[in-house]
Amino acid sequence: MDPAQHSTDDARFRVLVADDEDDIRDLVTLAVRKAGCDVVRSVPDGAEALVAARAELPDLAVLDVSMPGATGLEVCTALREDPATAGIRILLLSAGASLDEVARGLSAGADAYLAKPFTIAGLVHQVRSLTAGVPA
Amino acid sequence: MSLAVLDRPAAPRRRLTDPAVWQAAVRSPLPCTVMFSVAAVLLVTGWVPVTAPAAAGAGLVVAVAATATAWGVRRAPAAVRLAVPVAHLAAIALLYAGTASATVLFLLLSPLWVLASHPTRAGVPLAAGGTAVVLLVPHLMGEAFAAATPLRGALVLGPLVAAVGSFAVNENYRRVATQSRDIARLQREQAALLEQVQSRADELDTASRILAARAQTMTSVIDAVTQQSIIGTDRDGTIRVWNPGAERMLGLLRPDVVRQRSILEFHDPEELAAAAASTGSTSPLDALVHVARQEGSDVRDWTYVAADGTPRTVSVAITPRADDRGVHAGWNFVGTDMTETRATERMKDQFVSLISHELRTPLSSILGYLELVMDDEDSPLTDEQRQYLSTVERNAQRLLRLVGDLLFTAQVESGRFTLQPADVDLAAVVRAAEETARVAAAGAGVEIVVDVPADGLVVSGDAVRLGQACDNLVSNAVKFTPSGGQVRLSLRRSWQSEDGALTDDERPGTVPVALLSVADTGMGIPAGEQGELFTRFFRSSTARRNAVPGVGLGLTITKAITTAHGGALDLVSAEGQGTTFTMTLPVGAVS
Repeated sequence: MDPAQHSTDDARFRVLVADDEDDIRDLVTLAVRKAGCDVVRSVPDGAEALVAARAELPDLAVLDVSMPGATGLEVCTALREDPATAGIRILLLSAGASLDEVARGLSAGADAYLAKPFTIAGLVHQVRSLTAGVPA
Repeated sequence: MSLAVLDRPAAPRRRLTDPAVWQAAVRSPLPCTVMFSVAAVLLVTGWVPVTAPAAAGAGLVVAVAATATAWGVRRAPAAVRLAVPVAHLAAIALLYAGTASATVLFLLLSPLWVLASHPTRAGVPLAAGGTAVVLLVPHLMGEAFAAATPLRGALVLGPLVAAVGSFAVNENYRRVATQSRDIARLQREQAALLEQVQSRADELDTASRILAARAQTMTSVIDAVTQQSIIGTDRDGTIRVWNPGAERMLGLLRPDVVRQRSILEFHDPEELAAAAASTGSTSPLDALVHVARQEGSDVRDWTYVAADGTPRTVSVAITPRADDRGVHAGWNFVGTDMTETRATERMKDQFVSLISHELRTPLSSILGYLELVMDDEDSPLTDEQRQYLSTVERNAQRLLRLVGDLLFTAQVESGRFTLQPADVDLAAVVRAAEETARVAAAGAGVEIVVDVPADGLVVSGDAVRLGQACDNLVSNAVKFTPSGGQVRLSLRRSWQSEDGALTDDERPGTVPVALLSVADTGMGIPAGEQGELFTRFFRSSTARRNAVPGVGLGLTITKAITTAHGGALDLVSAEGQGTTFTMTLPVGAVS
């Protein structure tokens, strides 16, 4: 935890986690907390992720690419198209680590991309750097 | 094949008499012999009374002598032969004098004919002069002739008639003789020509038989191909050749296709339209043969549409076809049905993608939670627990690498493998590979020696992939080298000519290359297996015998990466002594 940025509880960053794998979702949740952020919602489905994002307006959405309901890329595009959610930072996670997929993720509007399997340390670092510039 | 003109039944041709033969007949002494013989008989029998026996006798003697000479000088020169009719004229003059009978004048016909038919005009004045002399005989003889003396006018008209008549005969004779010679010459030429034509026709016939035999051989070969379609077209795409393979693949028999349909009717129109758009071709046929036209041949997948409408994915080799004069006559399309193969490949790709995704997800959990447990500062692990969990982590990582290798191999095979080129310092890549392998090498008692240029060696390439290739070579070398051995990583600059020869300094026609070698003192690779080494899942007998872990993908991947960089991967190996792999990478840009 970085005390300089996350000094008080009510100023903590709010993160939405979406992944259809329960274990991964829990792992991401743990990593997000390690980074000093709050997980406001944790959902197993793309469509639910979109609803939750619009309801909660989190600072950051960590989205798995392949999910039922809507893929991470589709959620990403939808969030970027809606002015209310366009400002949400997006971190995509995917098991397909090809350059092609990375390019598609970033062109869909994601801020960062992390290939599975990721290390906890790597994910914590990404979450911190993505939330660093967000006004609390 | 044969000449049509020779096939016609020969028209009955009347062969012209040889001019020499009819000339000989004309000049024959036979007419004079007959005439003078009859004259002799007439004189002897008294039909023509003799008035001056001495002259008549002399005339007969001269006539007999001249006639005999005529038989003797048939082959003599023309000038000599003139003497015979002149002698006959003299004989006639004597006989005229000896008989005083105009009947004798009929004998003039014989020498006059001979003189008139003489090859030169010399006979004409002789005929006229001779006639005049004969007609003058009565005047010379005086009253002996009395009433038989011809009129004075006959003295003038007689020679004139002889001159005009013999001149006319002579002209015609000579003209006919010339024409006859010409005709004979033409006949000879015609005969020679006919002979030539006949022999030419025979040659053509032989050649056409050979050609027919060759064509038959080709046809039987093409007809024997039942698994590949062989289609030949005109320049406009009209089908001219359609083999049993094409019949089988596309469901139409040869008679229904040849000269009646275009190759385009068997192609997916949308695919052709797309190809036309991407190549800027003006017509679907142009789009189809675009690459073959430019490069001489083209092999790629096209979608054929069979007669029943089913699409077939066919690997088609397209080449231009030339006629016997080397002029472009059309196109050849040799197709292999790849429908099932491509479907299998797609399924395999999908399978590999699915499997690697499904394997990565649980591995993500395993590695993630392991990390949480091992890094938990609140409840530190015992050394034993840490050791056990390290083993779990190492194996999970190994599984992960295998999944990555499988996916990568599938990408290479399906052509979906792309590079991200940038400037890469190969010296750094080699040092990083040494670092990665250092722990394993130390554990196995293998020494790693690094020999790289201090100032580095920058090439254009994909840093991640080059690192992966180098790591593969180094980890292989360490795995295959027994304890106490050595692995030497060396990197140097060189120059390569077009034929692949390497030199240490720059020369005209050479390009700079980087040589990255990984040499071990390991168990080596049997010579018979070296060719298969880059085949996926291939494991050398030495690897299996010595229980070296691996699945046989590392070198396949390394080779694919090297090739994608425009480089080459070679090896030198002796069983029991060691192996040296050398990557030759162009220093220049990689697309």
